[in-house]
Amino acid sequence: MISLIQTLILGVLVGAVYALLASGLTLIFGVMRVINLAHGAFAILAAFLTYTLWSWLGLDPLLSIPIVTVAMFAVGWVVYQLAIRHVRGRHVSMTVLLTFGISLVLEGVMGFVWGNTSHSVRTDYTDASVQLGPFFLPEAQLIVAIVAVVVIGLLYLVLQRTWAGRAIRAASSNESGALLVGVSVSSVAALTFAIGTATLGAGGAMISVIYPFLPGSHDQWIARLLAIVVLGGLGSLPGAIVGALVIGVGEMLATSYIGASWPVAVPFLVIFVVLVLRPQGLMGTRLREDAVA
Amino acid sequence: MSGPAPAAAPDWRGRLTDPVLWRWITRALVLVAAVVLVLFPLSPSISAQNTVILALVFAISASGLNIITGYAGYLSLSQGAFLGIGAYTGAILARANPGVSPFVWAPVAGVVAAVVAALLGLVTYRSRGPSFVIITIAFTLLVQFVARQWTGLTNGSSGITLPLPDWPREWGNWPFHLVLVALLALSLLLSWWIRRTKFGTGLIAIREDEGKAGTIGINAPVYKLLAFGLSALLTGMAGSVYGYYLTFVDPSGMFAILLSVQIVLSVILGGRGTLFGPVLGAFIIQPLNSWANTIGGGGNVRLVLFGGLLVLLVLLLPSGILPSLQALLERIRTRGTVGLSGARLGAVGESPAVTTPRERPAVAAAPLLEVRGLAKSFGGNRAVDDCSFTVPEGSITALIGPNGSGKTTVFNLVSGTMTPDRGEILLGGEAIERLSPWSRAHRGIGRTFQITRLFKEMTVLENVVAPLRDFSPGQLGLGAVSGAEARRAEELLAFVGMSAYRDARAGSLSYGQQKLVELAQVLVLEPRLILLDEPAGGINPTLIERMGELIRELNRQGTTFLLVEHNMPFVLGLCDPIRVLARGAVIAEGGPEQIQHDPLVLDAYLGDDFLLEGESKTGAVPTVKGGRA
Amino acid sequence: MRFTSALRGVATVAALATVGLGLAACTPDAPSGDGDGPIVIGTSLPLTGDFSEGGTNTQQGYEVWKAITNENGGLLGRQVDFKVYDDASDQNTVVSDYTQLIGQDGVDLVLGSQSSLLNIPASAIAEREGYLFICPSCGSGDMYNRGFTKIFFSQQSVAANQAKLFAEWIAALPEDERPATAAYPSLDDPFAGPVVDGAEAILSAAGVETVYKDVYPADTKNFDSIVAAVRDSGAEMVVQGAQFEDGVNFLRSMNRAGYQPDILFQSSSPTYGDQYLDGVGQENTEGVFFAASYTTQAATPGNEEFIAKYKELYDGAEPPEDAADGYAAAQVLQAAVEAVGSIDDQDALADWLHANSVDTILGTLSWNEDGSPKGDFLIGQWQGGVAQIVLPADVATSDEILRWRGGAL
Repeated sequence: MISLIQTLILGVLVGAVYALLASGLTLIFGVMRVINLAHGAFAILAAFLTYTLWSWLGLDPLLSIPIVTVAMFAVGWVVYQLAIRHVRGRHVSMTVLLTFGISLVLEGVMGFVWGNTSHSVRTDYTDASVQLGPFFLPEAQLIVAIVAVVVIGLLYLVLQRTWAGRAIRAASSNESGALLVGVSVSSVAALTFAIGTATLGAGGAMISVIYPFLPGSHDQWIARLLAIVVLGGLGSLPGAIVGALVIGVGEMLATSYIGASWPVAVPFLVIFVVLVLRPQGLMGTRLREDAVA
Repeated sequence: MSGPAPAAAPDWRGRLTDPVLWRWITRALVLVAAVVLVLFPLSPSISAQNTVILALVFAISASGLNIITGYAGYLSLSQGAFLGIGAYTGAILARANPGVSPFVWAPVAGVVAAVVAALLGLVTYRSRGPSFVIITIAFTLLVQFVARQWTGLTNGSSGITLPLPDWPREWGNWPFHLVLVALLALSLLLSWWIRRTKFGTGLIAIREDEGKAGTIGINAPVYKLLAFGLSALLTGMAGSVYGYYLTFVDPSGMFAILLSVQIVLSVILGGRGTLFGPVLGAFIIQPLNSWANTIGGGGNVRLVLFGGLLVLLVLLLPSGILPSLQALLERIRTRGTVGLSGARLGAVGESPAVTTPRERPAVAAAPLLEVRGLAKSFGGNRAVDDCSFTVPEGSITALIGPNGSGKTTVFNLVSGTMTPDRGEILLGGEAIERLSPWSRAHRGIGRTFQITRLFKEMTVLENVVAPLRDFSPGQLGLGAVSGAEARRAEELLAFVGMSAYRDARAGSLSYGQQKLVELAQVLVLEPRLILLDEPAGGINPTLIERMGELIRELNRQGTTFLLVEHNMPFVLGLCDPIRVLARGAVIAEGGPEQIQHDPLVLDAYLGDDFLLEGESKTGAVPTVKGGRA
Repeated sequence: MRFTSALRGVATVAALATVGLGLAACTPDAPSGDGDGPIVIGTSLPLTGDFSEGGTNTQQGYEVWKAITNENGGLLGRQVDFKVYDDASDQNTVVSDYTQLIGQDGVDLVLGSQSSLLNIPASAIAEREGYLFICPSCGSGDMYNRGFTKIFFSQQSVAANQAKLFAEWIAALPEDERPATAAYPSLDDPFAGPVVDGAEAILSAAGVETVYKDVYPADTKNFDSIVAAVRDSGAEMVVQGAQFEDGVNFLRSMNRAGYQPDILFQSSSPTYGDQYLDGVGQENTEGVFFAASYTTQAATPGNEEFIAKYKELYDGAEPPEDAADGYAAAQVLQAAVEAVGSIDDQDALADWLHANSVDTILGTLSWNEDGSPKGDFLIGQWQGGVAQIVLPADVATSDEILRWRGGAL
């Protein structure tokens, strides 16, 4: 029983990080119908930026979050204007290939700049853990989970309370309607992509603390993130949170009760099962099918 | 019947871009390339031979992928997985049977890969667009996982080694090379044959407009399954040869996503949907790959190169090399000339020979179509609310009503494009509300759309050949560009008066012309009931009249019609009986006379001051001014 | 117009590719060695990708050998030069690379790549073309059952026997000192797996109960749940089949979980010298057992020279195991070439190696008929921030054997 609860605790903590990483991805899809396969590579880029700040300036990753977030916002904006903008509205295969191409370019560039060996940030809380009765909570995971909750909360506030957020939600549910009421959909799209990428500022910083990473790591991450947004329902932020927790806990349970090699399969199985049985995921909405006319 | 205006005498530009000339140039190029390819192992450079062998493997995979991604338009990132499955099958069988040449297992590997692909197609029958791509990615990674875990069969991460080739050293790479060339030839042959059959036009129809394809009898899930299976067949065979060539198969090498990306890149670069495009693409990508490694400087360069190429392709040249070249030639050739749409229509031709002639029922007919208590909501919006009406057999019935009354939704529910929340739909007494669109098409329902939905990239003739009367392997294999089907299509085109446009691209037609072609499409199905969505909308009076003529002629031969229309004179002059729909329910029914005077109808739709001057279908009408009758 | 200029660009690329392919096809391969110039040794290494850590280190070993050899007058009186390609840890590429080296580039000799997964297909190319293939990193048993005649593994034993001396020593402990239970987590890798399996076979036969045995995939980053499971199994000893990162992460995870078994053995990971020390923290390295092909303390011929040159070329760092393995492979090649006296007959080189042994910085190496080495790996233990050798006793650099995190055993 104890080990079950321990497993659940670990799963929830890791799920919080997943949720943070997936939130940007689902936001981007919700507004732009773009599956951003480069999301994982952006996360690793953020991790590298955090690492650089830490190794040059000794800056703790938590403190570098604001800086990296702004940097990632800029990166997202630029990438959108240069590339993504041109494929909006085109066939989905085009956006998939484009974003995949961007992820490869990013991986190569990161390899040039930082090399291909793995890096991680060592802070004083990296190896510590908090004892709670018979359970141990790794300190780094705990901190990261708290940060994730805070950032997601901020994101939620932005979406619900600010004008930009409302514009984003409007464009996401009905683009032509949004145009009619004066929302500039093209700048909203750019804004969304930039915000979605900016969330990785915090996410990437968190990755740098709890996982070793190298440029090639983005592959594993994107598979997991896709599973999360598919499970939660493409475009739904609450869905992404639920999906992340389910997958985080699922992976831990699989490790403990089936075998250490099985967590790898969890994302793929989830994708398969969800897309075949219930394509809209747990919380996504079905659209009117004949919207074409 | 006058054809298009005679073209100006061909100038140098015309001669240079003459399609016939280019057809011969292409044939010559292909022949030269084929000879070079077959004889390549004569080259003194073994690294060039190696590049060509790898390029052949990718070309075969790309050519296979073309069937599901090029023709059917479903982007699949799992082609690398099928290559790997073929390689593993070959390796497992080779290890279990030492002494037998591994080449023997190639056909088995192909069949295994094809079966797995077909199963994947079965499982994903409902998935489209983004979901489909994500599933194929998940599938590739899942197969890799299985290969790692099922150590009993695959030896897990350690992989399987194959023996070195057992032929004399002087033979070099000839056996690998020739087997792969033969597989490539087979792959191209398969691709070519598919394109020429109704199966091929069906796949392209699915790519262009899957919903529409359903309404003309194309059973998309089964088509996808077949396409997927065929796409993997030769790829699996190539995979087993590939594994033999490398002498080693293991999960990380065989099931890397990058492999699938390379194959997709080849298809898109060369031009998807074309015959030779994927091959061209593979033969550009593979040398580029080797070059990036050796001269370029290593792994990171290769990533940036591939990624950059992918990005540039999508942004600048999404249709690929061959189609772009074709389009360029076409533009040069037709610069300054006038398109076909300026030509005049032919007269309405002879009515098409009907293979199952129907008797016009003499007495008041039993209803062919019965709709009972139909309801459909979209969120809070009740588009169709307890709608019931009948359509007598042999009639031309109209469904009129204000905008937003649910007319198009009712059509969608009858044709199968949507399923109702409640209610029944009976065709000739048979309940059809749970059937798929293509099953309904096979039972005799045809339907046109308010905004025409032709398959723009296909020619007019191909559009009319595409519909499938009933589903059988024989039907699929029928030739699309020649043979009985094509002749029938030409007859129907002549009937609607569009013969002159036979070879024009459907996307280049005007709206009215598209409507006529859409009608011809529907007629291929020999439907009992045709649903026409605003046949008179948005076209000039001459065409409106033609529409009326065609409808009457077909009706004379026994086809029942249900129209949705706003053009009142057209309706009142053509249709009897008339159903009036408002806010999702039928509020009145009867002949033209009754409808014009019905107060509910006037209130909801026609307006108090509605005037009809001239003949209505049931005879002369005293003009009624204002007020109630 | 963007369209036509893009089209022009693509058409140019297509044309160039065709021309390039044509030229490449018609250019005969460069003839091998013209007798006067430098001897060119070709190799492909994973300088990027999953195995890049080991690949880069191996390359360093090759470079050190080249520097020392050239300073001493070269090989057979000629300078040596390397031609190195990066295969990005990809099998397709390693095949193309060796084909290119042997064919197009016409190198005189080849040396192996890093990791069995790459070397299995690479060695097939070499064997097919009749080239001697000396391999610094071919621990997988599958390499030697293919009837190849020119393949040689330049370490002391294959993976399955790496932990043999360690397991035998534990098994020989008196019953009250010997651990009763053991856990065997391992990386899913043809290198790491056999090490653990070999150890388990010996230990369980001696009565040590296996309470945990599982395999984790190569990209596992988070070991907390695995460690929790190992802890809950109550194992008194952990034998882990690791590569590098996973060993580091597993250990850190054990600290977080507060789990401290008496005996900890990790394959490969602790041999990464300073990288391991920094990754794990010195007090955590204390007492960790490992199997190594190499130690900087060894008094083997040429070791001092190797270490000095390595420090000179690479900023004073200690040479990691993969670099030493690379150096040893080159030493084997050198021995064969100098004994036979020429580089033209690869068969003669292979025959000489089958019949003789070679002294390297790893010790004396000799081979079975199938190319697998005869010998035993060294067993080492980190003590006081230094990686000492503890077994076999005759080459041990330290007398004591500690438990993990300090204290005599």
